[in-house]
Formats: sequence, structure tokens, C-alpha cells
Amino acid sequence: MSEKDPFILDRPTGRTLRARDAIVCVFVAALLLLVFQGQSIRESGKQMDDGIERTTVLAVGHPAGWVADQIGLGDDVDRLTASLSPDDAISSEGGFAEIAATGGAKAGAVAPVTADAFDPAALGEKPVLVPNLETLLVTGDSLAQPMDAELARRLASDGVRTIREVKLGTGISKSDQLDWGSQSTAQVRKNKPDAIAFFLGANEGFQFQGADGKSSACCGPAWAAPYATRARRMMETYRQAGGARVYWLLLPMPRSAPRQQIARSVNAAIIAAAAPYRAQVRVLDFSAVFTPGGRYRASMDIGGRNTIVREPDGIHLNKAGSNLAADIVVGRLKSDFESLR
Amino acid sequence: MVFPTIEFAIFFPIVLALSWALMTRQWAWKPFILAASYVFYSAANPMFCVLIGALTLANQAAAKLIHRSDDERYRKRIVAAAVAVDLGTLGVFKYYGFFAEEVNGLLDVVGLGLPLPLAAIALPVGISFIVFQAISYVVDVHRRVIEPASTIDFGLYLSFFPHLVAGPIVRAKEFIPQLARPRDPTKVAVGAGVFLIVIGLVKKVGIADFLAREIVDPVFGVPQAYSAPDVLLASYAYAVQIFCDFSGYTDIAIGLALLMGFVFPQNFDRPYRARTFREFWRRWHMTLSRFLRDFLYIPLGGSRGGKLKTARNLMLTMVLGGLWHGAAWGFVLWGFIHGGALVIENVFRERMRFSLPAWLKWLLVFHIVVLAWIPFRAPDLNLASTFVSRLADWGPATLWTWPVVFVVVLVIGLQLLPTKPMDALRVSFERLHPAALGASMAAVIVLVTATISSQGVPPFIYFQF
Repeated sequence: MSEKDPFILDRPTGRTLRARDAIVCVFVAALLLLVFQGQSIRESGKQMDDGIERTTVLAVGHPAGWVADQIGLGDDVDRLTASLSPDDAISSEGGFAEIAATGGAKAGAVAPVTADAFDPAALGEKPVLVPNLETLLVTGDSLAQPMDAELARRLASDGVRTIREVKLGTGISKSDQLDWGSQSTAQVRKNKPDAIAFFLGANEGFQFQGADGKSSACCGPAWAAPYATRARRMMETYRQAGGARVYWLLLPMPRSAPRQQIARSVNAAIIAAAAPYRAQVRVLDFSAVFTPGGRYRASMDIGGRNTIVREPDGIHLNKAGSNLAADIVVGRLKSDFESLR
Repeated sequence: MVFPTIEFAIFFPIVLALSWALMTRQWAWKPFILAASYVFYSAANPMFCVLIGALTLANQAAAKLIHRSDDERYRKRIVAAAVAVDLGTLGVFKYYGFFAEEVNGLLDVVGLGLPLPLAAIALPVGISFIVFQAISYVVDVHRRVIEPASTIDFGLYLSFFPHLVAGPIVRAKEFIPQLARPRDPTKVAVGAGVFLIVIGLVKKVGIADFLAREIVDPVFGVPQAYSAPDVLLASYAYAVQIFCDFSGYTDIAIGLALLMGFVFPQNFDRPYRARTFREFWRRWHMTLSRFLRDFLYIPLGGSRGGKLKTARNLMLTMVLGGLWHGAAWGFVLWGFIHGGALVIENVFRERMRFSLPAWLKWLLVFHIVVLAWIPFRAPDLNLASTFVSRLADWGPATLWTWPVVFVVVLVIGLQLLPTKPMDALRVSFERLHPAALGASMAAVIVLVTATISSQGVPPFIYFQF
């Protein structure tokens, strides 16, 4: 019982204090954090998914945020520590707020349908090939991993520079954390990608304000319409006036029924959003590939072998699933880019 | 729940205050801490609490049965059954998918075509740590090292939240006696606890996550896209990342436990200063080394029975230790490299008439350790091989930035330097007034929080094990 390992210290060194001092120490730290980080706590709570954790964080975050607002020291701390942030500073240009500011089309007016709404190949014409794929941007949320790395590996030998920008925990309906309108604008400005593979939707279903100032709860037409407007804004940015190709991946059905409802709405919104840009925006139907008939399955036949393609969470694709997803994206890239043929 | 999060920052002060308030009333304190630990664990998935509860009851029943009997054969049968339940649980949750895929592949090759059913099974966070602690309890009761604890004490031992998800692997004989009487409220190592929490946060958020973002994840993800300088730096950076990530977690865990009046064993002691592999394993994940030694290597025969058997036992222990990390060939190879190195080292120690200079020994050991991390980190063996092959392709250094190089050199360098300056810093820190300790902790939290990206803190690497 008293056997002691010579290489594992079993007693702390240094002075000891009273338990009351431990509590004082921890509560002083907590108090200072409430004063200096109150606003961050409130904002973090707002971005969390519904549940007891969100409720708890907001129960602390609201009063802490109010105190921090009154004292105003939080802004000074943010300014002082801003240079430590690893996030790219992006402007609000191209953001979803601009859609709200410019509003929708005038009532009764009909927007003209342009040639961009048609994929020539789908009309039996010769496909329009882009000569070179130099830069591919793979972006989205956690759904895009590990497909992003797989795409980068497969295209490395073709001399393609693959930029992987996965923004975990973000969503188009969740722009408090990251405004994908501004983000897509910044990505295009910074990297000038020839092609963009976009896969996002693990964190959707949030209520948000549309261009008309109204906000609706997920997942009916009133929610899908402003979602599609936001997605279209991004497609317009990514396609760079027709100079780039966009591969927007529809969501494979998740396992849980409430999430399936969100995924159906998101997929319908993407299909609607892409309608004016069929010449450049390819909507890849992963729902049909991984969950035919809208029915969830964890495994499927790949190369004659029954293979697990989903993570245990019932949302994400696992490595084998991501490899298959990469196959599909590379296949579409090959049909669009001459340099990959 | 992850330590460096707002949820935990709300959870811990409340639990700490109530814990000390209830400490003298053990009938209330024990259920309270047990409930708090289950709340902590349920943040990952409430269903996992059912699993840990079932493991607690099964192992406790086994321990009681073993203790009651004097029939050695019966006692052995019960301990074997309990260990089989524990390892079976681990097998189902951790290895079933890997096993089924590999067997299916083999059946395909020989044309049998009778595939095992596939299922995507969620891995309960920290299952390996929980199972190892349960095994240590039942085996120590069988060996009469300890007597069975009360069910609530054993439940607390398995689920105590500071060590619940990623260790250190605390032995029952170290923890359960601490539950025998209330912790002394006049002897709390506040300074040491806060110092460890602060250091742990800096290691995890300030160093490990920084290196992962800046160099490790990009290069290990797509090694084809990088040439030798970047690949070389990424391999050193991963060695630093995994050390800071895991030792950072255990520093925080040990620090939190100290604030609650409990003492956990040390888990890391500057491992990259080791000049032999034997020494490395006395400095790296010390509680796992100790577990593998006491529950695998020695029962296999240890160094008794000749050189060949010792070599076999070492290889088996290290390969199984590798496989403990997860169901992947990369972990097996990692264990194989370490096992092979230990065997070769034993042979050299006995046969060599001269000794290599200390700096050369360090250089050799350090670089083999770094090399072994490559299959450990790479997504699969093909990519590990691509990663290594890129070391022969000299090209531009695209990811060499001053902060990355500085952090890598600093962390490795600090392990080689004498500990006196760091000890002096710790002693001065511990002497601060409790309010000043709290203010220092808040300042560090504000600073490290500023380095967190908008996507939050990535999980600790060892959560997946």
C-alpha cells in the first residue's frame, strides 16, 4: 500500500493556504473575467446551439455583458489584444447586411433570365471548358473536413494550389459568429480562386432576419427564401462574374429527424439559389449519393464493399465518405477544367 | 465539457465553493461531487453517463466478490471476468469498426465474402482512461494491495471530473485513501494549483493550438504540397504540440484537483531531455508507463526469463500501448518503433564497451521520438510514408515564421535547461496573495483567449483516446 514510484512525485511542493483562499482566488479571477470579458461571454452564448449549456452561459453572459457595457473596459482589452487574434480581419463588404440594406426587387418587377441560368452541356451544347485550374478554394464548416485535405492531396500532382479554409461551427443562418457574405468576399479578394468547393450545413436552422426585416423560424418557405438569398449572394461572389466555377455540395441527410428537416430546407434553398447561375455553379447532390430517397444510412457499397461512410454523430462524413465526396468533386472539376483532363 | 471554455469557467467556481462548503459533511459532499462529475461528463453525451455508471457497478460487484472469497481459483475467475468486461467495452466502442473493416478486407481477399456487420459507434470521451482505472482497481483488490472501497467512493474514483476524460491515470490506491476523510481546509496548495492551471492554459491554447494552426495541420494534411524544410519543421512542431497539448491538460487537471484538496500523480517530467528510451518512458505519460509496466509488462514476465523473452515482453507492451491510443496502424507502428528502440537499447547497454557522448545520445533519442510521432499523427500509413519521403525533396520554406521557430526552440530548449529558474518563478508565484493569484490567472486567461480563433478551442488530442 505504501509502495511508491520513484519517478512520480506524489505531493505538491510549496506553501499551502486555506480553502477559503482557493475560493477567493478563483472568484477574483471569475469576477475580473466577467468585467473584462462579459461581452464575449454574452456573444458566445448567443452563438451556441439551444440547450442547457446555452441557457447557462446566457444567464451569466447577459448580466456580465451589461456590467461590461457599463464599465467599458472590455473594448479597451479587445483593442489591446486584437493583434493576438489568429482570425483574418475581414471588412463588412459583401456581407449579408448589404442584402438587407439594398432590399429585394420592386413588387411586380420580373428580373430578366440571363444565359448564365443555363448549363450549355445540359442543353446538348459543347461544354465550356476553363483552360487552367491553378487555385482551388475548399471552404465551409466541419462538413468540409477531411474532404478538403483529400482534395488537396489528389490535386497536388496536377499543380493545383488548394486553399483549405474551414470555419468550424459557422452557418449561413448564423451570421453573428461569421458573416459568410463578407467571408466569401474576403476569400475571393485574397485568393482569386479558379474554383470553389463549398460544403456547409452542420450548424444551420437558426432564426435570422431576411432582407425584408422579418425573421422566421426554420424550416418553412419563409425561412428557406432568405436563406437562399444569402446563398445566392455568396454564389454571385464566388463565381466572379462567370470567371470561376463553384461546386456547392448539398447535404447528405443526417440521422436525427429535426436535423433532417433543416437539411431538406437548406438543400431546397441551395437549388433555388443556384438557378440563375447554372453555367458556373454546380450543385452536387450528396443527398442522393449518401442518403438516396432521403433515408439515412451509415454504410454503403463502395467498390463492392460495404463501407461505413458516416461519423458516429450521424452528421459528418467519415474518411471513407469524404474520399467518395472528393471523387465526385474531382470528377466535376475534370469536366470543367481542361488542365485536369 | 472542455477545461478552457466558458461553460467550465462557470461550472468550476460553483463546484469548488460548494465542495469546500460541504467538505466536513461527507454524506453530502460525496453525492454532490459524484453528481457534479456526471454533469461534467454528460456535456459530451448524457448517454455516456449510463456507460460509466454500468462500469462502476460491474467492477464494484467484482471487487466485492473477489474480496469475500479465499478461493484463489474463484478470485482469478472473477478478476478475469471483470477485466474481460472492461476490455470488451473498450473493444466494442474503440476497436469494433477497425476490426470489422480489417476482417472484411481479409475475407474479400480470400473470396469468402461473409462480411461482418458494420456500425458507426460513437466513442465515449476518455473511455480508455476510465477502463484502465477500473482494471487497476479490480486487479489491486485481487492482489490485496487495497480493500474494496464503498460504491460511492469507487464511483467517485472513476468519475472525478478533473481526471475523467484524459487522465492522469490515477491508481485506486492513490485516490481512494484520499476519500477516507475530509480534505484538510487549512492545507490547500492554492499557489501550486493556480500555477499549474496557468501554465497548462498557456501550453494548450497559446502553444499547442498555435502550432497546430500555423504548421502541423497544413503539412500533415497535405504533405505532398510541402518540401523538406516545412516537413522537417512540422515534425518538430508536432512533437512540441502533442507535449504541450497533453501535458497542458494534465497540468490543468492536477491544478484543479489541488484547489479541491486532492493530489494526482505527475504525468510529465521534461520528456524531450531523455538520453535513453527507458528514461523517455519515465518522463512521458508517466501514469500510462506505470500502468503498462504493472498490468502488462510484469504479468507477461517482465525481464525475468532471459533476453529473448524480455525483448518479446517489451515489444508486446509497447505495441499494445500504441494500440491503446486507437484503432489504427499508425499507432501500432509508433508502438513498434518505441518497443524496437527499447530492445535495441537493452542489447547495446549489455554489449557496448564504450559510452556515446551525452549530447549524441540525446540527439539520437530525440530524433527517433520525433520520427515515431509521424505515423502517430499522420491520418494513415500512406500519408506517413509520403510525409517522410518529402524530407528528401529540398525546396522553399513556406511556413518558417519567426513565432513558429521561436516557440518550437523555446519549448524544447526549456526542457534541456536546468529547472532552477522555472522553480524560482513557481515559488515566487506561489507566494502571491490569493487575490493576486486570481488576478494573474484572469490576466493569463484574457491573453490566451485573445489567441483563440472564432471557431473556438480545438479539443485536446488525448480526448480521442
